[in-house]
Amino acid sequence: MALGAVVLAAVLCAAAWGVTAGDWGWRPEPVRRFAWWVPAVYGIYAVVRIGVAPSWRYRVHRWEVTADVIYTRVGWVSRQWQLVPVSRVQTVDHKQGWLERLFRVATLKVQTASHAGSSTIEGLDAEEARRISEELAVRAAELRDDAT
Amino acid sequence: MSDGEHPEPSEAETGRRASGQPVPPEAMAGIWPEPEHRLSPLTMVTAPLSYLRNFILPIGVAVVAGSFNPWVLGSAAVAITGMLVTGFITWRTFRYQVGTERLEIRKGLVNRSRRSIPLERIRGVDVTSHLLHRMLGLAVVNVEAAAGGGEKEEGKLDAVTAAEAERLRRVLLHRRAVLRGDASDTAAEAVLAPTDEARETAKMRAEAPDSAVYFTMPRSWYLYAVLSLGYLLTPFVALATLLGFTAQIIGDIGPRTEVGDALYTVYLWLEGIGRSALAMAAGAVLAVLVLLMPLFAVVSYTIAYWAFTLRRSGESLVAERGLFTRQSVTLEHRRIRGHELLDNPLERLCGAVRLRAIVTGLGESATRTVLLPAGPRTRVMGVVEQALTPFGGSLIRHPRAALARRLIRAVSPFFAAAVAAAAFGLYWPAALLAIVALAAVPLGVDRYRALGHGYDGRQVSVRSGSLRREQAVVQDAAVIGWTWSQTLLQRRAGLADLKLAVGAGDGGYTAIDAGFGESVSFAESVTPDMVRPFLLRPGPAEESVEARGR
Repeated sequence: MALGAVVLAAVLCAAAWGVTAGDWGWRPEPVRRFAWWVPAVYGIYAVVRIGVAPSWRYRVHRWEVTADVIYTRVGWVSRQWQLVPVSRVQTVDHKQGWLERLFRVATLKVQTASHAGSSTIEGLDAEEARRISEELAVRAAELRDDAT
Repeated sequence: MSDGEHPEPSEAETGRRASGQPVPPEAMAGIWPEPEHRLSPLTMVTAPLSYLRNFILPIGVAVVAGSFNPWVLGSAAVAITGMLVTGFITWRTFRYQVGTERLEIRKGLVNRSRRSIPLERIRGVDVTSHLLHRMLGLAVVNVEAAAGGGEKEEGKLDAVTAAEAERLRRVLLHRRAVLRGDASDTAAEAVLAPTDEARETAKMRAEAPDSAVYFTMPRSWYLYAVLSLGYLLTPFVALATLLGFTAQIIGDIGPRTEVGDALYTVYLWLEGIGRSALAMAAGAVLAVLVLLMPLFAVVSYTIAYWAFTLRRSGESLVAERGLFTRQSVTLEHRRIRGHELLDNPLERLCGAVRLRAIVTGLGESATRTVLLPAGPRTRVMGVVEQALTPFGGSLIRHPRAALARRLIRAVSPFFAAAVAAAAFGLYWPAALLAIVALAAVPLGVDRYRALGHGYDGRQVSVRSGSLRREQAVVQDAAVIGWTWSQTLLQRRAGLADLKLAVGAGDGGYTAIDAGFGESVSFAESVTPDMVRPFLLRPGPAEESVEARGR
């Protein structure tokens, strides 16, 4: 993500330079004056996104799996609370990308019959994620409620 | 291909009982594998014709443009003969058989394909017939089934006689019900009785308590087309299609042929008349189209919704409509999770509303879930009362803070654009945008007034939208999850969007800008088991799920 932000910032700077430095007659005056604002604003956004957001997110994110319900809270500026009953769970995915494997964390994805009722828990400890996914699968099979 | 090869369903009931059923034998009484059936012999005519429909124009043009060149004529003849032969082969090789547990469809001469659909998995049986089919008394049966992994599978019988289609629908749905162990037994005797008379009486007996007509469309309802923007725009859509079609044909012909030359001459002639005349003609055509908009709307609406009927047949609702293409959709009560009432501002003004079903397993196919076209609210609610469960509660209004948010949402984009345009010295567009921003004020107010959610002890209802106001009513047991989302600004105002996940219809319905604390206790009242464990203290509304998370 950081790499992508650097590349995009560079592209935006180049565009701004192109707009201001070139000698084209057709661009209106305000465009030239404010051209450098675009990369500047993006730079600030990227710094916040990379420097501040993850720790903030970490403070916000919560999850809890009780016997019957999966509860998650995600987000940083905007927040989202989700309740999914285990009895309606259809599939439990346990996923680990290469970066996640490096840091020994995993993502758990719980799906129900509705796309709006599907829940994702990111950055779980890998061992714990495996344990939870197995437990959930067993529990879901026990409580199975076919009424979608 | 004589008629003898097309066995009547009754004459060949073999009486062979399938063994090793997991279903109790008494439930399986009267259910035997049927003999193999063929499609109606008339499909030898209809299949090539409906296939040819797409090619008839290019072939015709090619024949004429090739000035009846023998090669072109010959190849066209070969193509048509080929299609007729294919039609014949398809008819000869296509067989279907309703077994005790599965529907088998076999086809193909060289590449044999055999599709076997477990009757248990059937989700719906739809019957459609377009104009040609109806003239010949045929119908297409579409059997939709759930395949493994949540995918869909379809068996299409194109085409059987209309009577056979109706029989298949009943037999398939009944056998499915028996296999699942939720049969209502009277329904099946009708179609399984050995003789015609017995079948007739059984049918009467089965249908008397088992079916009812809830609604047939009165003449005046066709006029509601005028209120629907989609139908008002039909002349322009038709014009666009026509223009695209002409352009394609002209492109196909090319400049070298005689027709191409003729067109070019016409074009030169038109140019000779002068551009201003041409522009005036175009303007006149446009004006006529605008004037004709209501007429076109009513006509196309009538074609689509001709003789709309909604009736109950056994454990299902059947909606039938269409003038040329008659479409019949069967929705099982077991799969219906609720309904939606839709209207736009024009329809609200006239007190009209549309009705749709929220059904599992149909995905987003909006046209198939239509239960009633636009009509007077009282009448629509009357049908809801008979056929479904009406929502008995009242909707809770959302807090005043939501009004400010709706207004800002509606006005700010245009306002910002107007300010930006003024800053750049573009005063005309700025003034225009400012007017649009002003016009958005009532829109914002109306959007706020539409917001609401409620619970009547059995069903949950959520309403939102203005240009397309939508009130969803869903059984509480169908709610399979809750999601609150809150932006920074909503947190300031103490609001949140509450989305209830439903494994049917659109998948989720959102109460926009509900009071946060209030929405939590609302969710708790609907599904106490799901929400209560996460409340810090049971009781006062202010104790939100947020508290537990900290």
